[in-house]
Amino acid sequence: MTWTIEQVVAIAPTPSAFAAADALALTSRWSSLGADDRAAWGRCRGAGREPYETMVDHAEVAWRCSCPSRSRPCKHALALLILWVRGYVPVVVAPPGVHSWIAGRRGREARDPTAGGPRPGAAIDDAEAPDPSPSDPPDLDRLRDERVARLHAGLVELDRWLDDRLRTGLADAALARYATWDELAARLVDARAGSLANRVRRLAGVVGARPDWHEVVLAELGVLHLLAQAGQRLPELPGPLADSVATACGWQVRQADVRAGVPATDTWVVAGRSDTREDRIEVRRTWLRGHTTGRWAMVLEFAAYRQSLDTSLAPGRALVADLHFYPGPSTRALIGDIHDVHDQPATVGAPALPVDTVAGACAAVGSTLSGEPWLDRVPATVRAAPARVDGRWFLSDATGSIALVPGAPGLATLLAASVGEEVDVTIEWTTDGAVPLTVHLADRAIDIGPRADPSFVSAA
Amino acid sequence: MTLADHWHELVTASLLGTDRRDPPAAPVGPLADVVRDTVVPTSSARMLTAVGACVAARRAGMQPLAPVSALGHPAPDDRPMLRVAAATRWRTVVDEWPVLEDEWLLEVERGGWRLSPDVLVGLLRRHRTDAVRRARVARIGGPVVSWLIAVQPQLAPPAGARVAPGVDLGLPGLAVPPELLALLDAPGEAFGGAVLAGFTSGAFGRAHRAVLVNAIARCRADALASLAASLGASDVPDEALGVARSLADLAACRQAMLEELMP
Repeated sequence: MTWTIEQVVAIAPTPSAFAAADALALTSRWSSLGADDRAAWGRCRGAGREPYETMVDHAEVAWRCSCPSRSRPCKHALALLILWVRGYVPVVVAPPGVHSWIAGRRGREARDPTAGGPRPGAAIDDAEAPDPSPSDPPDLDRLRDERVARLHAGLVELDRWLDDRLRTGLADAALARYATWDELAARLVDARAGSLANRVRRLAGVVGARPDWHEVVLAELGVLHLLAQAGQRLPELPGPLADSVATACGWQVRQADVRAGVPATDTWVVAGRSDTREDRIEVRRTWLRGHTTGRWAMVLEFAAYRQSLDTSLAPGRALVADLHFYPGPSTRALIGDIHDVHDQPATVGAPALPVDTVAGACAAVGSTLSGEPWLDRVPATVRAAPARVDGRWFLSDATGSIALVPGAPGLATLLAASVGEEVDVTIEWTTDGAVPLTVHLADRAIDIGPRADPSFVSAA
Repeated sequence: MTLADHWHELVTASLLGTDRRDPPAAPVGPLADVVRDTVVPTSSARMLTAVGACVAARRAGMQPLAPVSALGHPAPDDRPMLRVAAATRWRTVVDEWPVLEDEWLLEVERGGWRLSPDVLVGLLRRHRTDAVRRARVARIGGPVVSWLIAVQPQLAPPAGARVAPGVDLGLPGLAVPPELLALLDAPGEAFGGAVLAGFTSGAFGRAHRAVLVNAIARCRADALASLAASLGASDVPDEALGVARSLADLAACRQAMLEELMP
């Protein structure tokens, strides 16, 4: 079967996707290129450390790529097809990975003759669990377009609402009514902007709850405005920023798509964890830090009433594991294969966490927030001593201090561990102050982060 | 004008709203450029742009506050810190076999261990109103206890919760009926055999569980391993199975506890 370039254009999700792919269709960007009568394959150097593994079934029209793009087919698959159509891909024997992929597809075709054809929802290996999305591409495109339009309309409405708030002022009595916020949140849920709806609902609880609530609410309205504006311009934003904005707005990425990406393998030390109640769901954030890369990762877990939260990621534990990161600069990741586990720092082989000064941690947190000012929480591990001024607690060293969140649950244990000296502690920056999560002693890590209410969920 | 000054002006203006008050002029520089580029040039839209840009700039330029004077230190405590397993065991004891907690505390003291920070705070909170146990924790906790209470007064005991002079802070006695007293000094196999025989013959029922728990909590330490083995054996009669497994767990827990607290 031979293709024309027009056929490649036809399967591109958008004209701009084809343009992006055309720019990648240079043999200098590719290695291990090859093709046979069924498939084409190659490795494309991208932004990641590892090249993306791309293969295309040009007989039955399917694709597989290890890039994290949500676009189907991605620009790498399109670029590979362009190279193949233009005759730049040599005919060679398929490597085992391609062979097994094609064999798997043949097997499914034999079981279900209607299963052929492109399945854009399948990210890397359509041999995985059944894809809940419709298999008809026009259907999928229509649904996606509808969803984008709905989100766009929701963001326009959010920005209009924010404008009204600034016009009438924060002293407006309407802000004290929960319905004012809840109605907007409901409309954002309808627009599939669930994350923004959660932010709006959280704000409802801040109004009047503390002396400086005007400042807190105004700052969050500013962040919502940033997201509303950026969300309306997603196609114009650079890829990673667009991914970050989309995620902050509530755009869902399928776990299968995330797991399809190239994993980051490292020794991941569990630095800390914190539980928060959001609406009727308990959310557990577990922060891991790569021993080799120093990269932070966050594993999220959710539990409703009477459900259990996973307790296997105890602070101090180190996992030699594959982590699959969500698209963009996000720290959010899914744990893939675990190759080894070390229980506590005293265990042979378990590495220590890199530690910052207070000033260094502030710079690192600021750097993260400069790219994503809408983040609620940013982790850091500092060596500092708890200290008190006018009843407010701080972590302090010679380079400066950082305020702790009032009423931090682990403060007493932090004090007992430090006995007035500097101690290694993992914190979570929030707009209210730093939340201490873990005290790292030489032979153990002590979990002092906020814990879920045991009467609500099981979360030891 | 600093960014912080401008932010305070924005907060003040936002209280009244742009219908009543014009937004403050942004300080000359990138912030003013961003505000000038606002797509819809109304007062409220410019204010929103200024607020968003100001928040982003303040977060990105996060600075540490000035260093804060350190707290004083408690007197040094050279005792080794509890092993991790022993600290974990305390939580198991508290959750599942609180009858062992007094012995756990006394063994910590006998072994010359220093309480780990999490266990110390947990004990101070748990026994805040129990004067005797509180006194025991204060004795074992060492100099850090009074220091910690000085900086965290909520850990202090309520006024008047003090131990009368002469009160024994040793291991308290537990209720063990006379017919079981002989078992306290018996070898583990004999203890276990007697318990199982009692259940088979009907001499023991479910109501005896509490006194059997007390007996295991006070029996000879060197009998615990064989006691746990005989109660956990596969040939336990059906009528005793649940209680026997539970008592075996207690014996094993106490044995592990004593091993973990050995110096």
